Amino acid sequence: MVEKVLRKDNWLNFIQALTDARDLWLPVKDGSMQKFAPYSEENKGALEEYTNSDVPPKVAVFPQTETMFRFQLGGQQVELPEGEKGKVFLGVRPCDARAMSIVDSVFQWDEDDTYYSDRREKTILIGLACHEPFLNCFCTSLEGSPGSTQGLDVLMVDLGESYYLKAVSDRGNSLLQEIGNVLDDASDEGKQADEIIKNAEEKIVRKIETGDITEKLKQLWEDPLWKQVSQSCLGCGACTYLCPTCHCFDIQDEVEGYEGRRCRMWDTCMNSEYTLHASGHNPRPSRRDRTRNRINHKYYYYVEKFDKIACVGCGRCITSCPVNIDIIDILSRVKEAL
Amino acid sequence: MVEQTTIRQKAKEIVAREDVRHLIGWRKGTFGYRVSPYWVETPEDAEELIFSPLCSPNLTNYLTLEEKLPLPKGEEPDRRKTALLVKGCDSRAAVQLLAEKGIEREQVVLVGLPCQGVIDQLKLEEKYPEGSSGVNAEWNGETIRFTFPDGEKEFAREEILADDCLSCRYPNPVLADEMLGEEVEAWSDGKNAGVEELEKASVADRWAFWEKEFSRCLRCYACRNVCTMCYCEDCILERLNPNWMFRSVNHSENTAFHIARAFHLVGRCVSCGECERVCPAGIPLGKLNQKLVKEVREQYGFEAGVDPESIPFQASYNPQDQEDFIL
Repeated sequence: MVEKVLRKDNWLNFIQALTDARDLWLPVKDGSMQKFAPYSEENKGALEEYTNSDVPPKVAVFPQTETMFRFQLGGQQVELPEGEKGKVFLGVRPCDARAMSIVDSVFQWDEDDTYYSDRREKTILIGLACHEPFLNCFCTSLEGSPGSTQGLDVLMVDLGESYYLKAVSDRGNSLLQEIGNVLDDASDEGKQADEIIKNAEEKIVRKIETGDITEKLKQLWEDPLWKQVSQSCLGCGACTYLCPTCHCFDIQDEVEGYEGRRCRMWDTCMNSEYTLHASGHNPRPSRRDRTRNRINHKYYYYVEKFDKIACVGCGRCITSCPVNIDIIDILSRVKEAL
Repeated sequence: MVEQTTIRQKAKEIVAREDVRHLIGWRKGTFGYRVSPYWVETPEDAEELIFSPLCSPNLTNYLTLEEKLPLPKGEEPDRRKTALLVKGCDSRAAVQLLAEKGIEREQVVLVGLPCQGVIDQLKLEEKYPEGSSGVNAEWNGETIRFTFPDGEKEFAREEILADDCLSCRYPNPVLADEMLGEEVEAWSDGKNAGVEELEKASVADRWAFWEKEFSRCLRCYACRNVCTMCYCEDCILERLNPNWMFRSVNHSENTAFHIARAFHLVGRCVSCGECERVCPAGIPLGKLNQKLVKEVREQYGFEAGVDPESIPFQASYNPQDQEDFIL
């Protein structure tokens, strides 16, 4: 696999090379929020002084709202949306790339979700290893690391004056070759990068042993802990919308005049409407049930189905919760419950 | 200021009462500047209660958020009272609920705590980044004192208090069954609602401002769910027929949502600032609601949440109401 070095004084050329054939997205500041947005003259973004985006880069492959097709009321045909140009997501944190590789399983499971797969195929992920983990990061408890390459095409490591770039997929390999003229060859930068990643790993404060959680959860369906941990829940969607592995969506026909479009948009299992039947019956009537489902889906059902935990330890649900519902706290209570 | 021990002692007495089911207060959160809403069921639980400038959550919300699920046959609902720790704004929320008949007076025990303002976490983070270990905070006259891992630090309250607290006219609970501590002085005469700068901007600039803010909205509805005044069992946002608002997340639908919510809060918002605090996108929703609070006060002389016997603003009509702003 190709290894390269990007001098920081060559940054603009690097950006130019990436935007030539594709749309480049990178983390930008929007108000107090950090999110991925297309690169432009006004929106240059920056990789420095950025811990992680508040909204995960799952938007690359699973946008919050997308039009599946358009139609005319009374018409006979549907019009499919135009295909998108390939995208490069620059500065994706390793946890979020892992999340995408985890979620691939469900979108490509019984039926291939072409909306998802098409974007996934066309999107190149250039990761940025973490120097300074955020306070609620716990990726090392979930087989991740500040330098994990799972799901990425290229891993970048900030060495101060330059970035070390390592291709970690065939796609990454060809990309680095394609833009090779703005990069220098690497010598022993790989070793420096390993050192930085190791240091970052040691800075992660929050940890939990997750090995036995699935087995525990199987036995805790009616445990009083669920009421305790969900008592303060407001039932908003912050934890799920900002989760890099949450992938539920709703489908709605939206009609204005005679023009209609079938859209799909993120949905959240924390909303009571999520499971509401047409009859009025709701099999998950309380926030206790919904909180339990959120944890069980990530640490029990997904494991049963796809043999992997659908949580990467990015800590966003912890940080964004208005009432301090903390998944590490919930998991430790699960471990203590029996 | 109220001593922590006084609050805990009072909480113990209250939860020991036979007619009280539990008391909802705050306790230290799991990290950083966070606190958690906390249910005190037994006198022993009360030992964890805290009251500090970090205690933003308006617990009155839990009165209407409580789920009333169908009970097994023969089981009677628990009709004991819920006790709440309330700051000035929280008590106004309870008063407004009473005025709207959203709760019954016998249902609650309000423990009033005079409040000198709660912090805005974003402002605090700029001064001192949030860390993994929890910090203690206390009011100290003109400043707020924090115990950080590397020692104590003090910040002027004007610099770190939430915007709504800076224009707070009711720091003392307006209704309480038990009032603890000494009354504190109001910050503001209400003339400055924190929206004056925005008011001066042109219509085009104001539109551009809100367009940018609303376009970031994720429609997680944290603002709606945290709002004590948003307690409709059937919210227009969930209605599919008629479909008042599309689920599509875009600037147009987001704007419709925020304007609809703001209008449903006219004459009802008690300026607790929770909507702004919980927004993961950092949308300054307080400004929107404060503007309407100001209009209602100036045009109609009405204030929400001060009189439990008042007729709700949107249900009242007075022939003397000003009309000079109607086009």
